[in-house]
Formats: sequence, structure tokens, C-alpha cells
Amino acid sequence: MRKTLWKASLFGLFMMGLFSGTTVQAQSDPTGKKSITNTYAITNATVHSSPGTEGRKASILIKNGVILGVGDNLSIPAEAKVIAGDSLHIYAGFIDAASRAGITKPEDPERPSDFVYSNPPDEIAGITPWRSAVDQFDIESSQVSDLRKAGFTMAHVLPDGGMIPGKGALIVLGDKESTNILKTNTALAANLNGARGMYPGTTVGVMAKFRDVYQNTKLTKERMALFASNNGVTRPEINPTYTAMSEVVDRAIPVFFEVENDLEVRRALSLQKELGFQLVLFGLEEYETVIDVLKGSGVGVLLKLEIPDDKAIKNQKEDVSDAVKAQYQRVKEAYDKTIAQAGKLAAAGVPFAFSTIGAKPNDAMKALQAMIESGLTEKDALAALTTNAATIIGASRIAGTVENGKLANLVLSTGPIFDSESQIKHVIVDGKVFDYEIKAKKKNGNGENASVEVAGNWEYKSETPAGSSGGTITIQKNGNGYEGTITYDDPAGSGKATSSLSDIAISGSTLSFVFEVNAGGMSISVDVSGDVSGNTMDGSMNISQFGSFPISATRNPN
Amino acid sequence: MKRFNKTFLTFLIALLPLMSWAQIDGEFIKPQGGKFLLQNATVHTITKGVLTNTSILIEDGKISQMGSNISASDAEVIDCSGLVIYPGMIDSGTTLGLVEVNSVPETVDYQEIGNVTPNMQALTAVNPNTEAIPVTRVSGVTTTLTVPQGGLFPGTAALINLVGYTPDQMYAGFKAVVMNFPNSARRGRWDRRSDDDIKKDNEKALKEANELWEKAKSYHELISKGAELDYYPEIAQLAKVVSGELPLMIEVNAASDIQNAINWVADKDAKVIFSGVKEGWRVADEIAKAKIPVITGPVQDLPSRQSDRYDAAYSNAGKMAKAGVKVALRTNDSENVRNLPFHAAFAAAYGMGKEEAWKAVTINPAEIFGLQDQLGSVETGKVANLIVATEDPFETRAQIMHVFINGYRIPLSNRHIRLYQEFLDRSPGLKSN
Amino acid sequence: MKKRHIFLALLLSLSLNFSWAQTPKGSVLIKNGTVLTVTNGTYENTDVLIQDGIIKKIGQNLSAPSGVTTIDATGKYVMPGIIDAHSHVALDVVNEATSPIVAEVRMKDVVNPFEIGIYRALAGGVTISHAMHGSANVVGGQNATLKHRWGMDDPADIIMQEAPRTIKFALGENPTRVHGRGNGQQPRSRMGVEAILRNGFNEALQYKKAWEDYNQAKSQKGSTAVAPVYNERLQTLADILDGKIIIHCHSYRADEIYMLINVARDFGIKKLVFQHTNEGFKVAPEIAEYTMGASVFADWWAYKFEVYYSTAFNAAILQKNGAITSINSDSAELIRHLYHEAAKTQRYGGMTDDEALAMITINPAKQLGIEDKVGSLEEGKQGDVVIFEGHPLSSYAIPQMTFVDGIKYFDIQEDADDQRQRISPTEAVEPILLSEENHRCMQDTEHLFETASALFQMNH
Repeated sequence: MRKTLWKASLFGLFMMGLFSGTTVQAQSDPTGKKSITNTYAITNATVHSSPGTEGRKASILIKNGVILGVGDNLSIPAEAKVIAGDSLHIYAGFIDAASRAGITKPEDPERPSDFVYSNPPDEIAGITPWRSAVDQFDIESSQVSDLRKAGFTMAHVLPDGGMIPGKGALIVLGDKESTNILKTNTALAANLNGARGMYPGTTVGVMAKFRDVYQNTKLTKERMALFASNNGVTRPEINPTYTAMSEVVDRAIPVFFEVENDLEVRRALSLQKELGFQLVLFGLEEYETVIDVLKGSGVGVLLKLEIPDDKAIKNQKEDVSDAVKAQYQRVKEAYDKTIAQAGKLAAAGVPFAFSTIGAKPNDAMKALQAMIESGLTEKDALAALTTNAATIIGASRIAGTVENGKLANLVLSTGPIFDSESQIKHVIVDGKVFDYEIKAKKKNGNGENASVEVAGNWEYKSETPAGSSGGTITIQKNGNGYEGTITYDDPAGSGKATSSLSDIAISGSTLSFVFEVNAGGMSISVDVSGDVSGNTMDGSMNISQFGSFPISATRNPN
Repeated sequence: MKRFNKTFLTFLIALLPLMSWAQIDGEFIKPQGGKFLLQNATVHTITKGVLTNTSILIEDGKISQMGSNISASDAEVIDCSGLVIYPGMIDSGTTLGLVEVNSVPETVDYQEIGNVTPNMQALTAVNPNTEAIPVTRVSGVTTTLTVPQGGLFPGTAALINLVGYTPDQMYAGFKAVVMNFPNSARRGRWDRRSDDDIKKDNEKALKEANELWEKAKSYHELISKGAELDYYPEIAQLAKVVSGELPLMIEVNAASDIQNAINWVADKDAKVIFSGVKEGWRVADEIAKAKIPVITGPVQDLPSRQSDRYDAAYSNAGKMAKAGVKVALRTNDSENVRNLPFHAAFAAAYGMGKEEAWKAVTINPAEIFGLQDQLGSVETGKVANLIVATEDPFETRAQIMHVFINGYRIPLSNRHIRLYQEFLDRSPGLKSN
Repeated sequence: MKKRHIFLALLLSLSLNFSWAQTPKGSVLIKNGTVLTVTNGTYENTDVLIQDGIIKKIGQNLSAPSGVTTIDATGKYVMPGIIDAHSHVALDVVNEATSPIVAEVRMKDVVNPFEIGIYRALAGGVTISHAMHGSANVVGGQNATLKHRWGMDDPADIIMQEAPRTIKFALGENPTRVHGRGNGQQPRSRMGVEAILRNGFNEALQYKKAWEDYNQAKSQKGSTAVAPVYNERLQTLADILDGKIIIHCHSYRADEIYMLINVARDFGIKKLVFQHTNEGFKVAPEIAEYTMGASVFADWWAYKFEVYYSTAFNAAILQKNGAITSINSDSAELIRHLYHEAAKTQRYGGMTDDEALAMITINPAKQLGIEDKVGSLEEGKQGDVVIFEGHPLSSYAIPQMTFVDGIKYFDIQEDADDQRQRISPTEAVEPILLSEENHRCMQDTEHLFETASALFQMNH
């Protein structure tokens, strides 16, 4: 039932998008940015039309955001811009089935003067089912461009907030000229996080409150039905929470429940069993013990597209006692087990997809490669990125495969997509082509292949949504490698904080390093990478979960 | 109703020994000095074996005679046949007397403001009349080291006997400056510092400790040369450690910290005692090699790491003793110092053995405190800190029949016992008449 | 019409768990031990046969059915699995502290079967614990009775599903500190605590009546009756009034204990157990007459003002006055040696061996409503058994093996040291905790306080 409903509304929106798209573009463009044609032909590429099918040589014709043909003998119209695909591999655009790319959490409303912590208004307690991700979404966010750069063409964005943040929306990661919306009101987002200093404050309170909201939504609906068809009935109290929850109770839209581990999976499932709503679980990181449970439950499953940090494994020392070695071994086993889970889940027959919430899109391919190395088949990996995701979000008819009539959402890679040497050269979203620079592959030389000198004191500036900031980067040679520090505005307040740099690497003219920022007890990892030319560096810094931002630096000549 | 009362009666009779020297309505029994002859007991001397049919004469606060045939016509004779005598137990780390009710800040006196406060004297703040003292001594714990808590050098600990009306009457002759060695363990679940931050904090703290040590050394050198320096009570107190006048008691627990502390003290000519030493079993050989005595406990405690065997804390004292470390035990408690014998029993059961566990609450601390000629065993000439019990006082079923501290016969009463006497058979009962 | 019935059925079944896997059950023959049945005396050189999780036979010269392992307990003591009537083990959340009444929350929702505390409790002979909500509220959440089946993945597998519902109440300093002093809401005093209770129960009566009226009106043809607002908090209180839930009330002072006895009597509540109950000895005759007894500490006192006038003879006085008395832990450390805590009643009040052992076996079983299933060694009861080296009431006793439902979950000889079930893949070195939080009664309340540091000293 859900699927049909989705399909119908998606189709409507899709058609509307088409028509409005053409009208908008029949204009002059004094900026000169408008593309001259909306028709593209990618010729003689290796097309991987769906997970598990062999790549085969073919051309693809795209017009106005739709795939009009895939095959050997396409007649290419005169207005088509041709992209020579001879060395390229083409895949369906990836789908992020639960995303917060481009989402900004709305500010908490002010507490009323008569605020009581034991009975706070829903909005303050994080119960805001009426909110829509659309209102929190910004297509121009760097998180969106990061996601697109990683091959994602469509995202199911969920709002950010408290225990029930609101409704999701399905969007294409197109350009800023469009709303990019495929469908609003796709699902209700929910999680087990309590509100701070008020009811419900913990997981156990959140679960009780969820039951309460659900049951009272149900009763309110009954009262409204009674009121609508009878005289002499007291007016039912209508409030935005119950109104917005109504579709969930009707099973018209699913609940996307954020769960990190097996215990949280079971908690969400127990609510679902008790109350009967449609359920998709997202954000799973630790789930080996519930693979059978997930399989039996039939609910949608979205894994967090991330693998654990391997610092703990890499920093294990050699000269330690047997007892410590045994402990190291267990950490290593835990690490290996974590990465092998996806393969096991697929082998058990659970058609999962991915969520990038809390993950870094830049590292998505690295994570996928690690999962594949640990047993996930390439077919299942691709399915998770495309067809499975489309099924779970109810968009199979328009997305997930490279087929005639589907949305022109494609990934064009320099080689087989999961090959570590491959790079994404173009991403086509909604028929628009986004081009990416192909870089000489990094070599992880610890300074061994250095062709530029990086040691010295650098003054840097960076631009983030919080404004511009800067500080000093100091790098020294240390044996074969480098060591260094960076200063930055202390997130805890005034003044500068200092962190040491790790993973300092030079490849060609690219300098990269990582540092950790401590913000309110939470450790945030920042990846910096930039091109060095003489005494200047230009690049980007990637802050986990926040996106990437430009950074530039100049070296003090000493 | 009648049967009910009868049950109570037999019950009360069964407990008569306990209450024979307890409070009777309208009358208060005070600790009583004098000359006592404890006759015909089995005496566990700790240092000289077990002596059967032995009597002990207590005079002037001391054990004046021991033997099978002592005549002392002017002594009060206490028949101890069928009973056992042990030396009073020493708890080598408590806050007994420094706190009345832990959650009421007005009654908490074990911690001062400031990171370097070695001049704070625990002995000053000991309340001789705390409710906890009578509760403690009826268990056979007669002597406690009372220890201030807090920063890097929180103050000076003092050994007290649990009898007397002024701190000076209680003082048992040992003091030590306390140091909290920079700690790489987490302070609790809420401690979210990164490993790097902990390391940095520790390096900073150790640097500070080194600087203070150098200052104290200079202070001592200058004073010895007759210099008149500005009043500086903190450094003056530390200088007493440098000079060897006072020992340094270092609280250190995590294995790597213990190793660091061993290195830290290696080139310092101080009398050093380690306390806490929760992960001592991991580095027991190194502690033994450094010949540093250890005060460890509580024994009844959780392991410091999730991966540790469940009995890591129970077996810690035994493992260190086996490695050759001189071990004393502590409860690290305030109101429940009375549980020292049970902590010792757990140490005994989990590898230390009864004999060694008894030493760890008697002669070992006496030796560590340099008071082996006064405390820690039943020997002629020693302070009369004695307990008379129906059986091994480490057993919960044992009843303590008499306690002597400094030669005073201690009343076997306290608030717990008085409440028992009042409420066992309450009147009026369920219905008032 | 039909839809409404489904909804009502749902309301009724809300607190039930819908499905759980069959938990593992084992068979074992324990030979030649000194068997401490607790309820039927002590037998030397006696065998205990457990089959499929149930004690089949206690007697001499029993032979093992084929395939059943035999364990030689010669020279050892065999006793029923120890039951802790007050613990916070295996809970991810302890306090939903944000309201004076949170009867609607269920600790079963946050059971964590991987917590190392379960194994450590097994190593102390404890087979069942009462995993309780904390003491921040006058009416806390509903507790979970756990069976320590170590190694299960599914929380449902360590929940004793056949145990009756219980709920946490709390009087005195903790709820008045959190709500009154901490946040300027009632209760600020012991007067307010009583008022919160009476308000809650009276509202529950009205709630119950509103639903009854509605359901009755609904059964009339053509009714346009409007359903009341659903409120699981009041429904739970109504369930207490209907005798479906046992109250376990954190309490210290005699006056507040007496207050709750009066409130319970006024509302016809009979299922009431007091927890901690440090001044229970002062109202022992009342506790004996009107309640299911008290679950107390062996010797804790003076850690806060309301326990300053305590006595270690509390358990003995309660027991001698006829109150059902148990000794509990409320602590990750104490739970490991409850046998020793129970033994302290011999020093403080001269309890017999059976009286002392009953305080950690059959008495807590009675207070949890599971005395027909566990708490003593009797044929037909569940096969929860501990084998001790040394008499369990000796200070030198060491548990050797612990069985739950006939399955051995602890063996001092064979078990690996590192029992962690969950290891972080990203932490090179596991954290060292010197004072691991033994006492979690007030966990998760930190955010309600401006001065959180003051809290860490007053946890119980």
C-alpha cells in the first residue's frame, strides 16, 4: 500500500518538475551560466545498468533530466552534447536513503515564563512531527556538494531535532535553480534521544512518550471521526502533534527510526510491534547480533555508511606484555567484525541501503571498499547504493538503475566503481552534468615521495558557516615523516587552542593531515588537504558531520 | 502475644555477652582505665605464634605481663577461657573522625581548598566524639590512619587510637605528608578527557610536583644553614619530607602510574609509602624490587578495568604480598571502618592467607609506621590494644566480647546497639494499649 | 466497533512483552554436597538433580540420567541462587528524573544484557536481580526482574518474564532534592511527597472511572461517547490500585515509611515492599503487619543525613518483629558478596544460618512475587544454584559455580578472565576506572542540577 501511494505522488511531482523546468529555462541569461542544451549523449561507455549485471559497452541519451535511451545504436539528435565515454564506467546515481546533508537544525524556541520541566510544550521537548526537512534544507550547503561528489544523486533528507524531529523529503541533488524536491512528507523521523533537563529526558522516557503520542493520536482521530458524523459531540482537541502524526498511525508513511546498535534496533522494533507503524531503521553501526531479527522483521534497514576509525588498531605497539597483546587482539577482532557485518547482513538476505547521517561522504568509497574486502559482494554494495535504497524509499520506478525512462541520475567513473584506482569524473543529476577533476592518485608516502617542501610555519585562513577564522600550522620534519601542530579558535570560548597533527602525508603537490578538535567533550576530527605551490597552499578542510570548507595558507619565509 | 515475648526473651539472653558491657538505661559507661587480668585465653600474638591457656596483664596502658600463671590481686579479672585474643586491628587509611555525614558539607572536614596544602593537619580536625568511633571500635579496629583528601599535596595524615577526648590523647605517634600522584585513570564515568588530555594534565602535575620538591629541597638546605626565610607553611611542611622527618605517603593506583611513581621517588631520599595501589598486582615485582611498602584497599571493590578478572581487587593484596611487598590494608571508609576485618577476610580467602591478612591489619602497618615496638602484636611492653572474641574476629558470626585501647576497657555500646536495645521489642508495639 | 476493541485489547496488553525466544535450560547432577535448602533444612552428602532447568530431585545416591553432567560437590556447600531485590545492573538508563511521577516508563525497555556487572554478580552467586528505576521521583518507573543468563544477546532473554510487575517509589531526600530544591517544583518536603502520592492515586481513580464510564457508554447502541485522553502514567497507578503491581519504595526515615503505609491502607494497596528502610526498625511492627516487608542494607549508614540514625541491627529487629526481611546491594560491588552481607546479621543480631540465608534467597523472592519459582532448593523450583567452597556465611567463602535454569554461567576454574562481550573497535586501551560507579540510584539526574558535582557524593 505504501509503495503505491508513493509511486503516485512521485509521478505527479516528477511530471510537474519537468514542465516547470522547461519554462524556467526559456529565458535569456545575462550571467552566462545557463547550459546551452539539456540533451546529452554519453557514447561508447561501459554501462552497469543494474547491480549484478555485467558492464557492457553502450551509449546513453539524456534529455530534460530523463534517460531516453541506453544501447548500441542510438540515433543521437543534433542538439545533444556528446561526452566521450570510451574509458568511463557508468552506474545509476547513488541514493542516500537517510540524509541530513544540507540540513540545519532550527534554533530551540524560547522557554515560556511558565515553563515546567516535567510537562514542557511539545516543541521544546523535541516533539515536532509537523516540521519538514524541506524547511531546514539548503541545496547550496557544502555537505550537499560533498555528497554529490561522492556519487550521490538523490537523498532522502530528514529534519534535525529532538525525539520526533519531523517529516522527511525526497530530493535530487541538482543545482540551486530548482527546488529539487521529488516528494515531501515522505516519512516521520524519530530517535531515542531525550530532551535536556525536561521530560522525556532519557531513552526510557522517550519510549514512554512515543507510546503516549501514538495512542493519543489514534484516539484523537477517533474523536474527530465521531465529531464529523454526529451532533452533540464535544469538539475534539486538535493539536499540531496529533495532526502531523496521523499519517503514521494510518500507516500512510513510515517512521524512520535512528538506531546505532543492536539494543536500539530491538527498542525501535519493540515499539513497532507494540504500536504497529511502518518502520525503517537507519544509522546502524553495530548489528551483528540482530541480523536474524532484522531479517525476520521485514523492516527497512539503512546502515551508516562509515567504518570505525582505525587509529586504535594502527597505534598498537609491538613491545607490550602478552596481556596487552591479548587485549589488542580483541580490539582488532572487534574492528574486523564491525567491517564484516555488512557482508553478513547481505548474505542473510536483508536488502539494506545506506544512510550518510553522521558519516563523511568523502570517505564513503573507502568504507565500501573495506566492507567489500570483508565479504560484501560488489553486487550487494551497488544494490545498497542504488536499487535497495530506491525500494526502501519507494522510488524504484524512477531511480536505482540505468534504464530508459528513469531519472537521468548517473555516476561516471574512470574505472569499475569499487576499484581503489577509480575516480568519479562526472555526476549527472536530474540531467545536469557536474564535472570533477581527476587527480593523480595519492601515494601514502610519509614524505618519501614528497616533491614539495611543507616544513615551516604557515598562517592559514578558513571559511566556515560560523565565519572566517585562522591560526598557525607548524610542520617539522621528523625522521622520514613529519610532525606538527595547528592552532585554531577554541570552541570552548575565547582564545586559541592547539592540537597536534596526525597522518601528515604528501603526495605530488598535495599536503594532507588530520587533527582533532575538542568541542564540549566531543572529539571532532578535521581532515585537511590542499595543493602546495611555493609558499601557498589552497585546499579544503573536512569537518566530520559538518561538511568541507575552503582553507588557504601562506608560509612565513624564515 | 505471649509466645512472641518469650521468643524475644530467649533472643536477648543469647545476646547477653554482647550487651554485658553495654549501656543500661539511665547510666552511661565510660572507657575505664586500670589494671586488668585477662585470664586463660588463646592468644594470637601475630609475631610469636598462638599461645593457649595464656593470661595477659594490662597495666598503665601497656601489656605488662603474659603467661600461664600471673597473679595480680589488685587487677580486675576477666575470665577469657574459651575465648581468643588478638591485637587490635589497624586500618591504614580512613577519613574516620573527619566526617560525620558525608552528604552534609558542614560535617565534611577531610578536604581543603588549594592544590598544595601539605600543612593541613588531619589530626586537628578529628572529632573524638564522632558517632562513628564507638561504632568502629566494637568491631576490634582500635587504630586508624586518618587521611586528608584533595589536590596534589592535600595535607598530613595522622595515626590515632580510637580512645580519648582530645586529638592529642588519641594520637598514636605517626604522621605522613600525603601526595596524590598524577593519575592516568579516569575519575569516573563522567570524565570524558581524551587520553592525550589526561597525559598532558599528568605531565603538568608532575612538573609542578618536581618544582615543589626542588623548592622544598632548597628551603631545607637554606634553613639548615641557618637562613631566616619568609613564612611559607606549605613548603616548610614539604621540607620535612625532604629532610626525612616525615614520610611521604603517595596515593597511586593505575599500573603505569605506579611505575612512574617508583621512578619518581628513586632519586629522592624520602621515606616513601604507597597507598591505594589498586593495580599493584600488575606491577607487584617492581614494587617489591623498589622495597616500597604498600597500603592497599578497599579489598571489597570492583576491578579497575572491565577486562580484569572479577576478583582483581580481592586478590590484589595477596598477589603483592606473594611478590614480597610489605602490605597493609585499609577500608578507605569513614563510617564503615568497622568492616576492616571483613576486607581482610576477603584478602585472606582470595590468595593472601589468614596469617598474612592478619599481619596486614596489625604488625605490617605498625612496621610501616615505625611503631613496631608499640603496636601490631600481643607482646609484653606493647600498648594494650587488644580484642577478646568468641572466635576469629574476621568471621561475621564472631562476637567481640572485650576491646582494650591504650589499656582502657572500651564500652561495647554505640548508637547502633542502643537503637537495637530500644527498638527490638518496641513499647508500645503495633497498638498503643 | 471492532476497531475499538482492538484498541482496548492493545491498551490492556501494553505492558506485556509480545514474544521472546525460549531461554536456554539445562540439566546437571550436583553430587554429595552439603545442601542448604533454606526452607527445609540442611542435608549433608546430598545430591541435587536439575533437569531441563527445573530441580527434579533432592536426595542421596541419585544417578545422572543419560547425557546429564555430574558435578562432584564433596566438601562444598550447595545453596539456592542468591536474589538481589535492589540493583541497577544491566540498565542503560536508571533515572527518568524529569517528573515527580514517571510510572509510565519501563526499565525493560533499557535492559542491557552485555553489562559486565551481570557476570560479576554471577561470580558472587547472584542469579536474579531486581533492576530498578532510580530514586529521583516519588513514583519512578516500572522495574525489571532479571535472570542472569550471561551471554544472551536479546534483553528479553535475561528478563524473568514470569515475574510480576514491580514499580519504584522513592521518599525523602532524593525526590525532594531533585524536584523541590533542584527545580522549584513539589515536592520540597516530606509533606509534598505524601501529597504527590495522594494526588496521583486520586487522579488514577478518576482516570480509571472515566475509561469505565466511556466503555460502558460505548456498549450502548448509537453512543456518541468520546474517549478520554490516554495516559499510561495514570493507567499504571490504577494498576497499582488494582493489585497488579508490587511497589518497591526507596525510603529511610520511620515517619515517611509510616506515611506510605497509611497512604497504602487508605487506597487499599497491599503489595508494598520498602527498600533501604534504614529506620524501618522503628516501625517494624507496622511494616510486619501491613506490608510485604523491607529490603535493607546490612550496615550502610551516615552517608547522608536521613540515614544518620541507623543501626546495623535493622535487619534483625525487622525479622524478629515478623517482617519479611531481605538484604540487598544497590551496588555493583555489594551485589558480588550478598552472602557476606547477609552473614553480618549474625554479628548484628544473632540471626540463625537459615534466617540469614533466607534474607538473600526466599525472602527477596517473596518480595518480588517469585517465591513459588525460586528462592530455595525445592523440587519443582527453577534450577538456580550456587556451589560454595566454605559455608556461604563464612567470611572466607568463595563461590565456585553458579547455575541459572540448570545452566552453568560461572565457573571459577574454567572461565576466562576477560569476560567483556562488547569491545570498542576504536579504543586502543580500555579506560581505567578507579572508583567505578558502584551506586547508581541517582544516575542520569545530573542534568537537572546546576551544581552537578554536589551530586556525586549522595548517590543512594
